[in-house]
Amino acid sequence: MNWPHKDIVAIQDISAEEISTILDMAGTFKEISKRDIKKVPTLRGKTVILLFYEASTRTRLSFEIAAKRLSADTVALSASGSSFSKGETIMDAAQNVMAMAPDCIVIRYPYAGLPFRLAKELPCSVLNAGDGFHEHPTQALLDMYSMKEHFGSLKGLNVLIVGDIRHSRVARSNVIGLKKMGANITLSGPKTLLPPGVDTWGVKVSTELDPVIPEADVVMMLRVQKERLNQQFFSGEREYSLFYGLNRQRVDMMKRDAVIMHPGPMNRGVEINHDAADCKRSIILNQVENGVAIRMTLLYLCLGGGKNVD
Amino acid sequence: MSEIPMNTNEIEAILRELSDKLFNAITKWDNCGFIGIRSGGELIAKKVVELLRQKTGKDLPLGALDIALYRDDISKRLYYPEVRSTDVPFSVDEKEIILVDDVLHTGRSVRAAIDHIVDLGRPERIYLLVLFDRGGRELPIQADFVGRVIDLPEEKIIKIDISKGDVLISEVK
Repeated sequence: MNWPHKDIVAIQDISAEEISTILDMAGTFKEISKRDIKKVPTLRGKTVILLFYEASTRTRLSFEIAAKRLSADTVALSASGSSFSKGETIMDAAQNVMAMAPDCIVIRYPYAGLPFRLAKELPCSVLNAGDGFHEHPTQALLDMYSMKEHFGSLKGLNVLIVGDIRHSRVARSNVIGLKKMGANITLSGPKTLLPPGVDTWGVKVSTELDPVIPEADVVMMLRVQKERLNQQFFSGEREYSLFYGLNRQRVDMMKRDAVIMHPGPMNRGVEINHDAADCKRSIILNQVENGVAIRMTLLYLCLGGGKNVD
Repeated sequence: MSEIPMNTNEIEAILRELSDKLFNAITKWDNCGFIGIRSGGELIAKKVVELLRQKTGKDLPLGALDIALYRDDISKRLYYPEVRSTDVPFSVDEKEIILVDDVLHTGRSVRAAIDHIVDLGRPERIYLLVLFDRGGRELPIQADFVGRVIDLPEEKIIKIDISKGDVLISEVK
């Protein structure tokens, strides 16, 4: 096998064949987390720095646990405790971090494009943990893995993504990845939260949720990003919940074997309520479990082998 | 030093000898388990367990290890070792483990396999069984049960396809 990527910046850059490789390997790494001794020596002596310039629970923990289970050393830095707040530019910060010789930087940043620039300018691996409204490649991979684990294949799977598509890097990465893998995608949300140009994405779009629910194998609810939204996008949480929230009635409209996904964190009572989040069809916690396995796989692929793979 | 056995019958005979040796050496059949190193060792382990079933009447526990994540040369390699899965469906705690590989050479695979096994638990002891010992050790590791000691120049690699009984010898690229 040959892995040509130093970095994981966007699903856009990864071929369908490479996505398959990642999804196939992740099962091996998942098994490690089930052992009593949850650690392999593979990345001993490698340093992984996590730079999170935006709040995160799951992704940051998941990356850190993944790196530690492969025996890499991890250092995590968040914006509030760093000199970013003193006015240092992000490129200066990155160069200084690089001077301490990490093998990998995991970066989350509130604006699109920084991981791409770091990947181009720094010799170490750069893994994008979410950049602005652009991409969140590791989330899409763990989502695809969770779907594949449940259904066996992604080809022909009907995936419905609901909510704030416009501001969602999760939706963007999933749409790109799922299309490459041959899934059929439907996006649903209020018109104000659909991205401009969505008609060119090659997906089905419906501003009404109820008519499209019965076709879906996967119903993926997106978080209403309160921190990014103001009142101009929809008139209120209650109204949003009424039209786009996943509740008992809508769960009953789903196919018998369809599953519910959510990238977290959930706003219970807004885009999803207890009846949906905690029911048997929900694979939300499987997604979190699989996140560790996917990130272990990516760390192994990007840091594990020799550099001479051109 | 013996000639390299090249056909199914010869390999079958060696496997019978090996299972005889094991049959005489192991006393606690209820407390042992076989673990083959993927992929060559896995097939040998399967054969040996099959032969021992005929002698002991027991279905002895059998597992397989993938040692890719335990290699000591991961950051030195040009290519990525293929990662397969480890499947040891029994607890190794307090067991006598018979670790099985097809060819013992540098000893590095065995070192990696031992490290992997101790991550799964704490066996009472680990034996090593190999079909061929070709010498050339780089670590202080020896096998307890050896099919044949063979002499092979350093630049040659040997591959055994046990299902067909083929032994392929080729040059290192």
